[in-house]
Amino acid sequence: MKKAFRIAAFTAAVTISVSALGLIASGSVARAADPVRIGVTVSSTGPAASLGIPEANAVALLAKEVAGHPVQYIVLDDGTDTTKGVANMRKFISEEKVDAVVGSSVTPVTLAMVEVGAENKVPVVSLAANAKIVEPVDDKRKWAFKTPQNDRLMAKGIADHMAANGVKSVGFIGFTDAYGEGWLEEIKPALESKGIKLVAVERYNRPDTSVTGQALKLMAAKPDAIMVAGAGTPAALPARTLKERGFKGPIYQTHGAANNDFLRVGGKDVEGSVLPAGPVLVADQLPDNHPSKKVAQKFIADYEAKYGKGSVSTFGAHMYDAGLLLQAAIPAALKVAKPGTPEFRAALRDAIENAKDVVYTQGVVNMTPTDHVGQDDRARVMVQIKDGAWKLLPAGK
Amino acid sequence: MDLSIFLILLQDGVINGAIYALLGLSLVLVFTVTRVIFIPQGEFVSFGALTLALLERGQTPATIWLLLALGVVSAVAQVWQGRRTLSARRVLAIAGTDLALPAAVAAVTMLLAPMKPPVAVQIALTLAIITPMGPYIYRMAFQPLAEASTLVLLIAAIGVHLALTGLGLVFFGAEGSRTEPFSSAMFEIGSLLVSGQSLWIMGVTAALVAALGAFFELTLTGKALRATAVNRLGARLVGIAPSMSSAIAFTLAGFIGALSGVLVSPLTTIYYDTGFLIGLKGFVAAIIAGLASYPIAGAAAILVGVVEALASFWASSFKEVIVFLIIIPVLLWRTWGAPVVEEDDH
Amino acid sequence: MSTPAPINNAAADAISSDGRAPGGRGLRLVAPLAALAVCALIPLVPGLPQFWITLLNYIGLYALVAIGLVVLTGVGGMTSFGQAMFVGAGAYTTAILTTRYGVNPWLALPAALAVTGVFAWGVGAVTLRLSGHYLPLATIAWNISFFYIVGNLDIFAKFDGISGIPPIAVGGFALSDGPSLYYLIWGAVALAVIATLNLLDSRVGRAIRALRGGVVAAESFGVDTGRARILAFVYAALLAGLSGWLYAHLQRAVNPSPFGLNASIEYLLMAVVGGAGSVWGAILGAGLVTIIRDQLQDWLPWLIGARGNFEAIAFGVILVLLLQTARDGLWPHVLRLCNVRPATRGHHAEAGQLAPRARSAGEQRADGPVLAVADLRKQFGGLVAVNDLSFVVGRGEIVGLIGPNGAGKSTTFDLVTGVTPPTSGDIRYFGENATGERARVIARRGVARTFQHVRLAAGMSVIENVALGAHLRGHAGPVGAILRLDRAEEARIFAEAHRQLGRVGLADLADRPAVSLALGQQRIVEIARALCLDPSMLLLDEPAAGLRHREKKQLAALLRQLRGEGLSILLVEHDMDFVMGLTDRLVVMEFGSRLAEGTPEEIRNNPAVLEAYLGGVA
Repeated sequence: MKKAFRIAAFTAAVTISVSALGLIASGSVARAADPVRIGVTVSSTGPAASLGIPEANAVALLAKEVAGHPVQYIVLDDGTDTTKGVANMRKFISEEKVDAVVGSSVTPVTLAMVEVGAENKVPVVSLAANAKIVEPVDDKRKWAFKTPQNDRLMAKGIADHMAANGVKSVGFIGFTDAYGEGWLEEIKPALESKGIKLVAVERYNRPDTSVTGQALKLMAAKPDAIMVAGAGTPAALPARTLKERGFKGPIYQTHGAANNDFLRVGGKDVEGSVLPAGPVLVADQLPDNHPSKKVAQKFIADYEAKYGKGSVSTFGAHMYDAGLLLQAAIPAALKVAKPGTPEFRAALRDAIENAKDVVYTQGVVNMTPTDHVGQDDRARVMVQIKDGAWKLLPAGK
Repeated sequence: MDLSIFLILLQDGVINGAIYALLGLSLVLVFTVTRVIFIPQGEFVSFGALTLALLERGQTPATIWLLLALGVVSAVAQVWQGRRTLSARRVLAIAGTDLALPAAVAAVTMLLAPMKPPVAVQIALTLAIITPMGPYIYRMAFQPLAEASTLVLLIAAIGVHLALTGLGLVFFGAEGSRTEPFSSAMFEIGSLLVSGQSLWIMGVTAALVAALGAFFELTLTGKALRATAVNRLGARLVGIAPSMSSAIAFTLAGFIGALSGVLVSPLTTIYYDTGFLIGLKGFVAAIIAGLASYPIAGAAAILVGVVEALASFWASSFKEVIVFLIIIPVLLWRTWGAPVVEEDDH
Repeated sequence: MSTPAPINNAAADAISSDGRAPGGRGLRLVAPLAALAVCALIPLVPGLPQFWITLLNYIGLYALVAIGLVVLTGVGGMTSFGQAMFVGAGAYTTAILTTRYGVNPWLALPAALAVTGVFAWGVGAVTLRLSGHYLPLATIAWNISFFYIVGNLDIFAKFDGISGIPPIAVGGFALSDGPSLYYLIWGAVALAVIATLNLLDSRVGRAIRALRGGVVAAESFGVDTGRARILAFVYAALLAGLSGWLYAHLQRAVNPSPFGLNASIEYLLMAVVGGAGSVWGAILGAGLVTIIRDQLQDWLPWLIGARGNFEAIAFGVILVLLLQTARDGLWPHVLRLCNVRPATRGHHAEAGQLAPRARSAGEQRADGPVLAVADLRKQFGGLVAVNDLSFVVGRGEIVGLIGPNGAGKSTTFDLVTGVTPPTSGDIRYFGENATGERARVIARRGVARTFQHVRLAAGMSVIENVALGAHLRGHAGPVGAILRLDRAEEARIFAEAHRQLGRVGLADLADRPAVSLALGQQRIVEIARALCLDPSMLLLDEPAAGLRHREKKQLAALLRQLRGEGLSILLVEHDMDFVMGLTDRLVVMEFGSRLAEGTPEEIRNNPAVLEAYLGGVA
């Protein structure tokens, strides 16, 4: 019996120490007087790291206290991996007892997280762009919100600009991933509504070293303009190749490209490119009456004070906006119940859904039971790259 | 597709293929000498390119700290492994290669980096920073596992890959960089526009292949490496320490990786994780060559580059599928009807 | 401690790395049942954070895949970087069926397994011919392709994937939360463990386990190694598909990212870290990797004092260190810690006789040569290794094939055993043409062999290696093995193996790991294995090498006895005394040709032989 006993003892020891560890881990977090706990999961590693890192950075700028209650943020990395994102979500819910979750950075991970959020009745504020996350608002998406502008809003901006500038046909090149796919779905109807033809669709991978084949194929279709749907510095490669191959027409980018590294890598190859973006990108150039100007300037100042000049990006702003949204909703929820309770989470969800005139760094938000993004045209500006900097285009041009 | 488009694609494919060829050669070399399927090969490409990009901007690259740390760990590992047999001379030699050398490289880099030295100096610094990482990584990660199975070595290689990719993200961030071309010249050959940079790549690849050939054929060290590749025991019997051959193979791997990074970075944006995919395509070439033949690996790499270029024109969504699945028929053709080969490796 | 001793064996057995069967069927279940009971109690531990259940669920899902890798990689020696793709096949099948066609998840399960199995069979048929290092790299290619194909096709909802997958329901109760799924997942793991242990401890399992001992050895005993490989591959894929089915209903959403190359790498890593040689190692590995990953995220920021992306770095470093300290994974260390020794196998002396191998008409005839080689030739490029060689071996005759080094003896041996096809010439066993036939076909003709370089499967005990010799005398398939319907036949096979071991005088070493024996003893084990085939002819490649004097005498006596029983023997040997005293006739080779042939006495006095062969020695 000896051996059997030893094995049993070993198993028992492992089980006990594992559960003990768990207890320590869950008990080690000090519980201040009714703090509001927010779980944040972003993709600071993996393919979407260029989104996730500034988002994680921006957490440090969020409000530490709302209506007399401390707000705690628990930040985890999901590595742009759905399984990890969902595991983080479950960890937040069962171990950290959070009142709301912010994240993740990309659509596929968020879509899976929304399932868990709805199941456990925890509000999720996503930082990913695709409208699928919140549309249509059904039983599941009741609990899902997002701060980035819908790609549709941005696509409309591009289509309007194209129409105003006499573009009749467009070639599209986008990432072979959810970002490129999402944009393609949105730009098609936007172009159609303006009578612009989509004449070629090509794909490339984020780390590709060459897009010559795609560029040639696009140019063979002789489009008036070409749009690139990529995020961060990888969006510069098609623009460069197109210039090299002698494409003379206008090149459109998406707001995913809007960070300073893009300008650094793109250099003169992206000069003249036009893109839709959140107002925060050109905060200083906004007219004084733009509602977001002040908030955006404050965000930029705080972020750059902490992480260095030129480090700011619109991705960080999405996180900041999520903070602003929660900040606006928490007081109403606090009137209903204490943080850490199912009632509080339900009340917080209701409060977010009823949020009115919340000023983001990127526009003004009015949520409704059927619109969990709540943004209008004020959330988008059209920007052109001039002399290696972002230049605000006057509306309607 | 007309002829001019085909020619442009061909040119593009050949240039990319040249980089794959360099990596493929390096992979074959490391595998035949050490049995390590060196997944982290690609990381040296990223490290090389991004280190150069930082030097170009007048910044001190964080890779020098990695170099120092790896040197220290490698020295400690070697002294620990040989603690019973080490002579004072050997200890001094280890201190020289693993401590003094990286310290000197780091000092020179810190001194020169802010002064934005000429491109040639920047490249030399980059190579000096990245190349020694090869043997250091070998000493600490693979040498203690020298007798382990190929599978264990492969998993260890994956561990190194994970660690290096993580370090790359910490050092360089998620966004990419691109360096200035060595030459901005453009030549017109018929309807084809050939950039000076692409000529550089082709030239350096050709020169390196020739140099490697000469190295293996003419020098004693090269012959020793080949001997180890053929028969580890035999090499030991004629007085060549496998650990020495392995260290040299990894030095070459570090050098080739860094050089590939330096060459390719003016052509395209390089990210902290670009290397993995480039490395895998080098692998495809190496596999086609049966992980054994250098010339075939080189030719296969060019083939991979061209197939990739054509696929990106015809079916860009399925480009990777096409590139990676071409190895299946090639492998089948290679093994079909071949006699059952017994592997004494477990 | 009133319980009889066999309980110890049962307990030890259930966790022994190689899944050997203990003495009794009932006892075998004790340890797993105890483990099951512990598992069942975990969710009830008071105060256990619910997240640990979530983690355990993930561990169970990963463990399923890792157990498959034990069969494929740890046991079968085939490394696959494609397991995540099979998880994906299972997950997508159930996702599509349940969301688009309203199929009940339970009905989608067989569909998911069928799709995964067929997919794996297809991939395996194309890829498994590739040997050695090509296979892992080819699976990398498959997995990358799978990722992009799924991400680009509408039917899989592209990169966003499919969400809104319904939970699995049992009797109207939806298993939607962690604890309820926990039982389903770990129930599946328990079934997978039992099935895998059963499979490995069977005729088919021995064939898979023999793959690592070398394809040639297995083929020489009639094992269709191609079939064994694809069987292991499909089995591993099915476990992955099962994991995928569970994953889809746990996660309730699927997209390509969890089924990419990185996930495949992680599965392999789990198996290797835990110990790919054992199902328990796979579970340990899945648990460790998952927990380390999770804990690193909690503790690293606290240790380093800054938030950053250090998990991957720490993880990579830990992995390398772990391999350096525990090359075979951690499970063997755990066993050592608990002081568990490998189990001994009960022997069924009472089991019935294994039926003799069916003999062909030629084999049954009493006249004519057993082996007739005519004008046999083998060229490697310009080099003629065997040059128009002819000789015969008659019934009940011991013939020696001798010659100096490089004379072509080994090549000749390879030709007559079907390892290499001849360039030209004719080989006949019992009057039937066997030229160019494969080794396993020649084994079917009643020809058994041993090897110059001993080829015993490393992970198996002596008796299991010997039992492999009886492969052609058994019939049980994989399904029968998993369901334990093969016990009677297995008992007979092992009784036979034991009898043959006794015959060569090694019965008391039956349960030792084969590779722990002295080299000379291993050669004798090979002879016992060959005898298990119930052969009409034995081909022995340097059987006396490495034997001590007394052992040689015993071996000679055994071979004479076998001759007395009507067996024909061809042996290649260097030891002149041994050959001269034993054989009826000798064939002397030089430079690939026959130099002389005759009785030992004639050869001893043949001037040409003295000149060419013995002259060199004297």
